[in-house]
Amino acid sequence: MRTAPRRSRWTRALTSVVRACALLAAVSVAVFAVSDLLPSDAVAVRAGAGATAEQLDAMRAAAGLDAPAHERYARWLAGLVTGDAGTSLVNDRPVAVLVGARLPATLTLAGAALLVAVPLTAVLAWAAGAAPPRARSWTAGAVAGLAAVPQPAFVAGLVALFSVAWGVLPPVSLVRAGGSPLDEPTLLVLPSLALAVPIAAYGAGLLGGALADARALPHVRDAELRGVPRWRIATRHVAPFLLAPALRVLAVSAGALVAATAVVETMFGYQGLGELLVSAIATRDVPVVQAVALLASAVVVAGTAAADAAAALTEPVTA
Amino acid sequence: MNTPHTIPRPGALLLSAALLAVSACSGADPAAEPDAGGDTLRYAATGSPSTATHDPHGGVGNESDSLRFGLLYDVLAVPGDDGTTELRLAESVEPADEELVEWTITLRSDAVFSDGSPVRAADVLYSLRRIEDKAAENFGRLGMFDFAASEVVDDHTLTVVAHQPYAAAPRALEAVTFVVPEGTEDFSEPVPGSGPFLFAEGDAENAVLERNDDWWGPTPPLERVEISAVADPQARAQAVSSGQADVGSSVAPSSVAAAEEEGLQVVRRPAVTMYPFVMRLDTPPFDDPAVREAFRLAADRDQLVETVFLGYGQVGDDVIAPADPASPETEARERDVDRARELLADAGHGDGLEVVLHTTTSYPGMDTAATLYAEQLEEVGVDVEISMDPPDTYWTDVFAQEPFYTGFYGGIPFTDIATVALLSDAPTNETAWERPEWDAAFAEALSTADAQERDGILSELMLELRDEGGYVVWGTGDGIDLATDDVADLPDGPGFDKLFIDQVRLTG
Repeated sequence: MRTAPRRSRWTRALTSVVRACALLAAVSVAVFAVSDLLPSDAVAVRAGAGATAEQLDAMRAAAGLDAPAHERYARWLAGLVTGDAGTSLVNDRPVAVLVGARLPATLTLAGAALLVAVPLTAVLAWAAGAAPPRARSWTAGAVAGLAAVPQPAFVAGLVALFSVAWGVLPPVSLVRAGGSPLDEPTLLVLPSLALAVPIAAYGAGLLGGALADARALPHVRDAELRGVPRWRIATRHVAPFLLAPALRVLAVSAGALVAATAVVETMFGYQGLGELLVSAIATRDVPVVQAVALLASAVVVAGTAAADAAAALTEPVTA
Repeated sequence: MNTPHTIPRPGALLLSAALLAVSACSGADPAAEPDAGGDTLRYAATGSPSTATHDPHGGVGNESDSLRFGLLYDVLAVPGDDGTTELRLAESVEPADEELVEWTITLRSDAVFSDGSPVRAADVLYSLRRIEDKAAENFGRLGMFDFAASEVVDDHTLTVVAHQPYAAAPRALEAVTFVVPEGTEDFSEPVPGSGPFLFAEGDAENAVLERNDDWWGPTPPLERVEISAVADPQARAQAVSSGQADVGSSVAPSSVAAAEEEGLQVVRRPAVTMYPFVMRLDTPPFDDPAVREAFRLAADRDQLVETVFLGYGQVGDDVIAPADPASPETEARERDVDRARELLADAGHGDGLEVVLHTTTSYPGMDTAATLYAEQLEEVGVDVEISMDPPDTYWTDVFAQEPFYTGFYGGIPFTDIATVALLSDAPTNETAWERPEWDAAFAEALSTADAQERDGILSELMLELRDEGGYVVWGTGDGIDLATDDVADLPDGPGFDKLFIDQVRLTG
């Protein structure tokens, strides 16, 4: 009796891992195809005006851009499998070095943002899903509104408030050459708030519903009628039903956060992976675009897969 | 990998979160800068971080890179005051023959690369050849020379041979001739240089340089220079006002008022930016000189300079290189709506003329310039449709292709403009300016040894182009740098002068 459901749980976990790998492969093909469809290419950007057609052809041949798209993709994939992410088409530097140099900055920023986002999500979700009815509808509205504000507008608002009006925080976040973002933590405050608040609002919207549902379950109602203390209801009767949705919301939030770094890093002049992605797209630096996009997708896919797997292993059996 | 970053541990993250909370609540003053050390200059320079390169011989589109190369590598010469050439690694650049085709370059003998090896003529010739090999990326900047025919004479002497007589050879060797050791091929990391500073740590987009005490030149007053590539002009200005940088280069004119209020220093470099309107002489209606004249008379130059550069610039009178020492003295070109209408009517456009004016947002104000000029043209009876093209493809699809568009020049000398865009066989002859006599006179100028006589010929050529060519040069914008008030001796000359900051001081 006990082995059957467990095996199916492991099967589900395994399936989600396989699905994640397939998804990543699909993402890499899609990103490659889209980069290839953009007008102009890295050689035209690099050459600038005035280069002759012969010069451009020679540069394309040297960069391997004269091969058909499927061949270039195959070459890129073969390189990646052997641990070589290729070379930038714009400055000839190894992609791994470019990405490696930016990774700590983005990890630091995303980490700081998560530290804000997770407790904020919890508080907002509680307010939207479990607070007294009047407060609940008010916060639900506020949460939905916050989640709907476009990221650039939110950044501009934060800067207008904290930098221009109050003058307490810098409007740009340049990490010092040879330093780490942690040397001057003030630089991280606005970017991480800019990332965390909209995502927490979005996550709270999702989680608030699950919370309300959990509170309406018969055994919770029953416990309330029996006069079980509130903290005991919260920890013993409601929390187990929130674990799986919370993990999924965390995974989705982490993914949204990684995606939002593109806007936030660019607006604050913060040299991380998001900023690298945006400018690599502008210069048609396909190997760099591929690497960053794949890395970001890997975070999202791995997070979701992990949440699914964990949920499969922890979900209480209600039947 | 030479970056010293480490991936932050959870503990460090928690600590930083606590610090964040504290600094957010205590209202930390953003102007309170961390201990920078009195001898460290932090420079936020124009540049797209992802295109930052270690290769000094290619396109080098980023000012942040050029600035770094100017500190790491020696060049043969730099632009001096009042347009003269100031020699650096070269001790002399002299013609070896009467025709001004062959030039002898003598190098100083005390220059040493950071790996300890001396700088030899072979290194210089190798570097020059490598620049020419990358002609497609650097606009064929040294295309006037035939480096295959050039040769090393001894350790500190070489001869370079021009394709044709080229009296301006010393000037052509200014600024871009970064010298690296012979045989250097891998530029994925910084290579040895013999300049006033050494690469210490960081990366191309965010570099720390330290003073090279073995440099042959005057000891730089600064111990360290940190150069960051920052793409957004407003971010560069904010970096200075929030204490994250000592210098922010090429900021928007709109940042100046606030900066002055905060007590920051504003350095203006004259005639740095030019957005001329470009008309192709081989395409109607611009093949008619009367139409071109009408278009020049339609421009309200004061209004354009006031609106596009917020007054931080000079009104132009269609001279293509107003900052060039050979530039002619001219009378200001006044707007004349009636005369412009008359010219258009005589040219057969009395009942209206429709044109498309292309523009983009590559440089701040290019779009404003086109929109405003279109309004001014409407007043002389020309119906202008503005085509706002994406900056990603503008310089390949519009530049030197379309018959009427908004161009860009960044303060380069007239001889360079002529070589790139005016001679009949120029690679980007954007106005289709093809005049054999003009070409011949240009060649004559370049085979004239006497500088004054040469400038006289060049000046005539500029005048002819001004009155009959395809450019509406309505004005030039100043380059504007912001700096904290303790930064002294920042370069304020036009063109490449701004790249050489080895003698900048901090007085605080």
